[in-house]
This record gives sequence, C-alpha cells and structure tokens, in this order.
Amino acid sequence: MTREAVFEQEFPVKGGDFSRAGNVSWEIRNLLKELGLSSSVVLRAAIATYEAEMNIIMYAWEGRLLLSVVPGRVHVVVEDSGPGIEDIELAMTEGYSTATPEMRELGFGAGMGLANIKKNSDAFSITSNVGSGTRLELTFLTNGHRT
Amino acid sequence: MNYAGRHSVEINAERCIGCVHCMIACPTKAIRIREGKARIIDELCIDCGECLRFCPEDAVESKTTSVSDLKAVPYKVVIPSTVLYGQFENATLPNEILFALRRIGFDYVYEISTICELNNSALEMYLNAHPVPRPLISSTCPVVIRLIQRRFPSLCGHIIPIEPPRENAAKILRANLPRIAKVPASSIKIFHITPCPAKMVSINHPASMEKSYLDGAISIRDIFKTIYQTLRQNREETIMSHLFPETIFSGTGVGTALSGGETRGLKSHRTVAVSGVRDTIRALNQAELGLLKDVDLLECTVCPDGCIGGPLTVENRYLAKSRILRLVQMMGERTVVDSSDMNQLYNKDFLSFHFPIKPLESPPLDTDPAQAITKAKRRNELFLRLPRKDCGACGAPDCRTLADDIVRGQAILEDCPFVKKEET
Repeated sequence: MTREAVFEQEFPVKGGDFSRAGNVSWEIRNLLKELGLSSSVVLRAAIATYEAEMNIIMYAWEGRLLLSVVPGRVHVVVEDSGPGIEDIELAMTEGYSTATPEMRELGFGAGMGLANIKKNSDAFSITSNVGSGTRLELTFLTNGHRT
Repeated sequence: MNYAGRHSVEINAERCIGCVHCMIACPTKAIRIREGKARIIDELCIDCGECLRFCPEDAVESKTTSVSDLKAVPYKVVIPSTVLYGQFENATLPNEILFALRRIGFDYVYEISTICELNNSALEMYLNAHPVPRPLISSTCPVVIRLIQRRFPSLCGHIIPIEPPRENAAKILRANLPRIAKVPASSIKIFHITPCPAKMVSINHPASMEKSYLDGAISIRDIFKTIYQTLRQNREETIMSHLFPETIFSGTGVGTALSGGETRGLKSHRTVAVSGVRDTIRALNQAELGLLKDVDLLECTVCPDGCIGGPLTVENRYLAKSRILRLVQMMGERTVVDSSDMNQLYNKDFLSFHFPIKPLESPPLDTDPAQAITKAKRRNELFLRLPRKDCGACGAPDCRTLADDIVRGQAILEDCPFVKKEET
C-alpha cells in the first residue's frame, strides 16, 4: 500500500497566455499544502514552478508540468515545445534574459528564472534542443512532514 | 488549536433557508449546507464577512457588542471608526456625529483620526528603519492577518509589528482616562464602532497580544438609527457643536477609511494598496512568490475600497467614499501629530505588537504522507465523476470541494443529485 502511494497530475500551459499566468503554480502550491508538506518546501516548489510556468508562457508555444509526489519527494518535469535554449550555461546566469521589451514592461524577464528554479529545488537538470524545446527536471525533498 | 466559536459571524438557524448564496460567496470555501442550514467550518473561516453581505435572508449575524449590553457599563468609552463619518447625509459633519454619541449616553467619545495619522507616521518610521523584508504589510485589517496566518505563513514576518489605530487609541485611553475623568480603571469599558465583524475577533482573540485594549465593538448597522434620530431631534444643539469644536481632526487620518489611506502620504517609498478579498489573496500570493520585492509597503484591506466598504456599513459605499474624500479635502493635509511625541512613542515601543504573529496551519488531507497522497489521488478520480456544474445542491460550494469533503469523510458521492440520477 505504502509503496504504491504516488500522486501524479499533468498541468498543461499555453504559450503566450499571460492572463492565466500563475494558475498552475497556485494549484500545485495548494495541493502540496493539502498533502501536509512543510510550508518552506511548499514555498520553494511554488516559486520554482511559477518560474517554470512563466518560462513556457513567455518563450514556448506550449508545454506542461508533470507533478508526481511520493512520500519524501516531489518531482516535477517541465516540458515544452518551443525555440529551445542555445547556450544553457549563459541562460542559467542570473540577470541574463532574452525577454522582449513588452515582457519587461509586464515585469517579467529579469533574467532570474532558471537560476531561481535551480536555487529553489534540491535537484535540477535541464536539456534543450534548439528549434524543438526544453525539458527541466526538478526534485524537492519533503522530509519534515507536518503532523 | 480549537477554533470553535472563535468567529465573528454566526448563522441564525431560524432565518437560514439553506440556499447557496453565502456558500458560493465564501472566498475560503468555509461554508457547507448541512441538513438544510448553512454551517461555517471554523478552521477555514477568516472572518471576512462576505457571507453576511450576500445572505438574502439576513440570516448571517455578526457577533458584535449589542447596544443593550452597554446599559450595565458604569463608564462607557467609544472610539468610532472614521468610516462612520461617511454614513450620514451630506451636510453632517464629524463633530455632529461625535456630539450625537455623547448625547446617546457615551461618557467619553474619542476621535480616532489623530491616531490614524500617528499610525501612518509610525509605518513610515518602521519602513525607514527596516530595509528588509519586502514588501512589508500593514496590520490594520484583521482579516488580512488571519489570511496570512492560514494561507501565506511565510509572510507572517512581513507584517509591520505596529498595532492598528483602534488598539493604540484604546491603549492611550486606558493609560490616561482614570486620571483625566477621575474614574476607577475597573469601571471603564472601551468600545469601537466598527464597519466589519472581524474587529470582534481581533478583540476576543488577538493575534499579537495577550489581551486587547478594547472591550467590544459595536456594529455601525446597529447604532446607525440611534445616531440618526439623535441628530434629527437635536438640530439646534448639533449646530452649536460647530461653534465649540472640541476636537482636532486629521485629514490624513480620516482618509484611512479608504483603501490607500495608509500609503497616500508616503513620499519616499513605493507602495501598493489592494482592496477586496480576492484581489488581496492574489496580491499576497504574488508577495509570497517574491514578485513584489520592489514594493516597500503593501496595504491590503479585504473590503472593497477599504474599510468604507465594510459589510456592517449602511450607506452606499460610493456615496460614503465621496463624503470621506470631501472631509479629507476640508480638513486639509496639515499634520496634527507632533513629530517629537511620535518619535518618543515609537522608540518606547508603545505602539508595537506584544509578540510576533505566528502561522496557523490548516489541516492536511491526512497526517500520514502516504495516506494523504492516496486521498489526493482518490479526490481527482472522484472529481472526474462529478458533473462540474458547481451548483451547490450537494451542500458544498463546488464539485472540487465536494470531492475534497468525500475524501475527508465529510460527505458521500451520493450527495450529488446528478450522480444519483445516473445510477438509478
């Protein structure tokens, strides 16, 4: 019974859909809270998934977040079909951004996205193919379950 | 922690007809219809008063101090919210309203606008002295405090630890009235006149001190008629009250009845004023995600347009707002608070919280991690079987909440009338 306890949910995100920006991370945040995870883990996951969601909305055509939770661990796969990232190392630098002036006007594109995702997750990996898309894998360790 | 009976609203079971209005309006999904009557789930309620606003049967009652309870009080002190000044016809001035309160039988009427201005200066001093964290959030709206404790725990440390004007006004009165009025401290009871029921919770169950300086709060709705009649019956005396102005009003302070009242005077800080419960939740979420780090002060009031839109007010809030703005203009921007007095009070921590505000965690689906995951899975499966009409007929505000109630053992799938139909 315990070994089978896996919660999985897929959250689709549409590129360019700024009006729904933040909805996915809000849902994930509330869900993790209901699962009884400590508020610091919930907050880190909320921040990381928010940034990931925003990256899809800003740069990709479409994408999704795949959330899976097992006792002790939250795993999120972020996949998009989009332009991909040419120089990942550069993209990971704090302050580097390819955001358009319009995005910046909306308050986005400070060049903190990927760096912020990495900072807030316990394990982080990124792969990208130019012209087809980007894939992130994030892990959050959740020991310290609330009682 | 036991929340039972800690709230400021209750359902009058005789008047409640079990319709769905309050349940649908509740922003935290804290109401269910059980056995034909609305029930409030204590752990989820944040005392915003939306239910009171939306009930068509007048079945949601505020647990404020009733005017008849005041008779037994030997020395009655009242601190009306500045919102009260916008509730009467256009020509009625604050002086007249204070006069009417004295005439009604309050032994001491304290005008709060000066303290509101003092509070604004204290917020500014705190902002200057504390460059982090950002944004800082003011403590005036008790619902915002409860919302942060329940849903945005990481923001507890962002709340400026300065008590709201109503508490500091009462504190000052407690310290000085026995001497000034020559009455024993024990016979003095201090009441706030409030536009919202939430003040009652902050008085009975304060989040940042052991005991409130206030003894109760009277709803504007309840006392409006008495003030109105007194004003009408004593026209001449009322007019006289203009000729002997006893009180110095602060325009800045009166303006705090409106959203933005705490932020408007701040010149060297970036501020955002948000009002309305849903927009407040959105703003707090953004603050928690770190998206508002460039904002110095975030002022949130859960009532639309600020306290002026409180559920216990009587006047159309647009009219009330226009009157307050007119008063602010009349009274001008001049400062009535002496800055050296202010500095002294601030540096003595006279205005500060007694202890910091602590998070209140809401119950998870299950305390066992594996069980919680299993329940979340089951909840998603159940949700797919529900019609997603969010009609409320099952007694839960929407299908998602019904699914949640089922896995928590509070409801069954057959509560949904559509599910029943399909299966028989």
